[in-house]
Amino acid sequence: MSLKKFSELFSDLDSINSTNNKIEVLKRFFLSNEPIDNSWAIYLLTGKSNKRFISGRYLKNLFSQIYEYPQWLIDTCYLKVGDSAEVITLLLKNKTTSRNKKLSNISLNELLGKTIPELSKLNEEEKNLQIKNIWERLPEDNHLIFNKILTGTFRVGVSIGLITKSISKLINIDEEIISHRLMGNLKPSIDSYEFLINKNINLEELNSKPFPFLLANNIEDKIFKHSINDFQFEWKYDGIRMQLIKRSGHVSLWTRGQELVNESFPELVEKMSFINDDFVLDGELLVWNFKEQIAFDFSLLQKRINRKSPTRSIQKRYPIIFIAYDLLEINGRDIREIKLENRRIELEKYFSKWQNKTENNISDIFKICDLIFPKDWPDALTYKEKSRENNTEGLIIKKKTTIYSSGRKKGIWWKYKVDPMQLDAVLIYAKGGSGRRAGLYTDYSFALWKDQELIKFASAYSGLTNVEIKELDKWIRKNTIEKFGPVRSLKPEMVFEISFEKIQFSKRHKSGIAVRFPRITKWRKDKKINDADSLENAYKLMKKIS
Amino acid sequence: MRTKKEYLIRYKNGNLYCELADIWIDPSKPVKKALITHAHFDHFTFGCEEYISTKETAILLKERFGDNIKIKTFEYGEEFKINGINISFHPSGHILGSSQIRFIFAEEKWLISGDFKLQKDETCKQYEIVKTDYLISECTFGLPIFKWDESNKIANDISKWITSSPEKTSLLFCYSLGKAQRLLKEISQTNFKGNIYSHDSIYKMNNRYRELGIDIRDTIKIENKKKIDELKGSLILLPPSLSKGSYLKNFKNIQTAFASGWMSIRALRKRSGYDKGFAISDHADWDGILEVVKKSEAKNVFFHHGDSEALSKYLVEKESINVLLFSK
Repeated sequence: MSLKKFSELFSDLDSINSTNNKIEVLKRFFLSNEPIDNSWAIYLLTGKSNKRFISGRYLKNLFSQIYEYPQWLIDTCYLKVGDSAEVITLLLKNKTTSRNKKLSNISLNELLGKTIPELSKLNEEEKNLQIKNIWERLPEDNHLIFNKILTGTFRVGVSIGLITKSISKLINIDEEIISHRLMGNLKPSIDSYEFLINKNINLEELNSKPFPFLLANNIEDKIFKHSINDFQFEWKYDGIRMQLIKRSGHVSLWTRGQELVNESFPELVEKMSFINDDFVLDGELLVWNFKEQIAFDFSLLQKRINRKSPTRSIQKRYPIIFIAYDLLEINGRDIREIKLENRRIELEKYFSKWQNKTENNISDIFKICDLIFPKDWPDALTYKEKSRENNTEGLIIKKKTTIYSSGRKKGIWWKYKVDPMQLDAVLIYAKGGSGRRAGLYTDYSFALWKDQELIKFASAYSGLTNVEIKELDKWIRKNTIEKFGPVRSLKPEMVFEISFEKIQFSKRHKSGIAVRFPRITKWRKDKKINDADSLENAYKLMKKIS
Repeated sequence: MRTKKEYLIRYKNGNLYCELADIWIDPSKPVKKALITHAHFDHFTFGCEEYISTKETAILLKERFGDNIKIKTFEYGEEFKINGINISFHPSGHILGSSQIRFIFAEEKWLISGDFKLQKDETCKQYEIVKTDYLISECTFGLPIFKWDESNKIANDISKWITSSPEKTSLLFCYSLGKAQRLLKEISQTNFKGNIYSHDSIYKMNNRYRELGIDIRDTIKIENKKKIDELKGSLILLPPSLSKGSYLKNFKNIQTAFASGWMSIRALRKRSGYDKGFAISDHADWDGILEVVKKSEAKNVFFHHGDSEALSKYLVEKESINVLLFSK
């Protein structure tokens, strides 16, 4: 299959809104192309190809250099388009006059498996020349895909779920199996595609991989009508959801993003291998305050997750724990079809066995989650409100009689999050958005009062409706004080209610505080800037929770 | 350098105005005398005592705004005098009847480009290169990311879009005057041979175009209660104003598209809410604007209708052309 065909697929998928039509298009595509190219297509569509060969900035500089184009003009165009790969694609139009479109039939396999990876082996001069050559030899329709792959920004409105459904329909095999096969490091190859579409389910191969995760929905009012005894209550930790698997003595640690992260947490892998049983556990990885038995902030976990082979001192400074929520498989027996309350009994049973019978102490790195037993719903609410005290985000409520299915199915698990903290703040800066929001001012910075001065305390991008974004964009253009590149400083006039999940001291910010997940929850047109909150109020919030 | 008072044409209350002739160009508020470049809504306002335009523009204006507006008409190239200023209309290639307007006074030439394009369009006269000293140009698409494809390529894309979903009704949204007729002309030269329906606002304009000698194919006026089966596989041309709201409930199993120059940008395409976007415009692209600026031989250029910052800087830096700013 040529890159050309994939470009067509991309443009089709990009312009179809209906899920069913997307599935049809994908099915047709898989049927009419070679396994190796299908494998690459799946690799690209599932977002596994986000390796960045060169940066967007590099791409823009290179174009500017080759075609003697002013850098500032490219930057102005970028503000309108919001994507470096697309800007360069649009600017390349009619520039590559060479009739020698030798690469018009290049296959995905050759481009992705050879041409692009080989760029990394070249020195800068050779690399630039090679990119220029490719631009000139590639038909214009293919420039976008090529530039996007180069800059690691290939994305299209297709979820893994959609790919899963398409393949499942193609070969008439359960989605769960396909989703299972799609997990993990599926390197593009004929073999991996044939494995994917193999109509015989090979248990041994499947065994090394995690189960599809079951996800919680937002709380629904109707559950309050049910008896509190129908549900199991747990704290909602703010860590990384994972499956901890031990099969045939081999431990693997999978994130929900389908990444195998054994290398980042070697101490956990080592400890768990001492356990005599095989198992699949669903749980959460956290950096743990063993003294107080609560989680440390997520920011500490970030110090671990991207670091492979951490040193002993890092392991000591950021001690981790795996908190198991659920037991999905024990000694080769898949127990996902057993009711939650019975799975919990099994989990507790095995945990106490492991604690007592493992020669190595495992409790310094592994535990099962504590359950909460509210008397009634108002009591549950009280627990929820207390969740900030132990650094959790609220409660997870699980129906006791349900099996462990997959995805965000309704009526099984709910998250009951603590209400956010809120402050009214003044809009002081705006920046052009990127991607879908290009050409509009959609990235905002907000400030709080300190005496007579407004001090920036948070940036937020989300929360406004499209209509509000457009209205605000108009206002921003009319009320700009100064422009600094893509950023505008604004007349302090607009007040917004900003909600966030956490607040803590920060030396890095002028305001002295950092907030987590700030978002706009209301445009307070009814408020004047003098009604906005002060930094003092923010400090008070911080004291209240600590 | 002269002050703005001394320019023959300047900006006043957000509109182009020639004080010497006491005449306004496409004014947005009622005035005594108005020159109208073309018949789009945003270039016309009710209540002026007298309008002056080309013959075609006058006919289209009357279709849209009623017979009782007073319009004086002139042929392309025909000079007329107001207060000693020679004024003439010249084809701008935007839509049928659209014009650039040239002013000559005391051997100084001024040219107002009006909305214009250089691309091929069989439904109106080709843009005429007019030499001038001062050029006032639109720059709706004044960035180099805008480069139009040939219109027959777009028409083929549209044809493919319709025929690849034969079970669907294809709704193509486009401006009812100009764009619709141009698309009609182009699409009838593609492989798509199915029925084409048009909304009343477009249907009326089609008729006027035909009366003015533009050969475009017949369409069927879309009625609100068409049988769904009958519309399967056909194309319906609709004005963009109907894309939001309840009008679409008249149809089942549809796919929608918008034909506009802005659709060349993916983010705008996605945000537009249409399934698909076709980048076809009746305005000049970047290269078109540069070509007109150069070929007009203007020493001084003004821009309006668009973001002119980058374009101005580019002309000053790269082409050493004097770009002036309107003081409003």
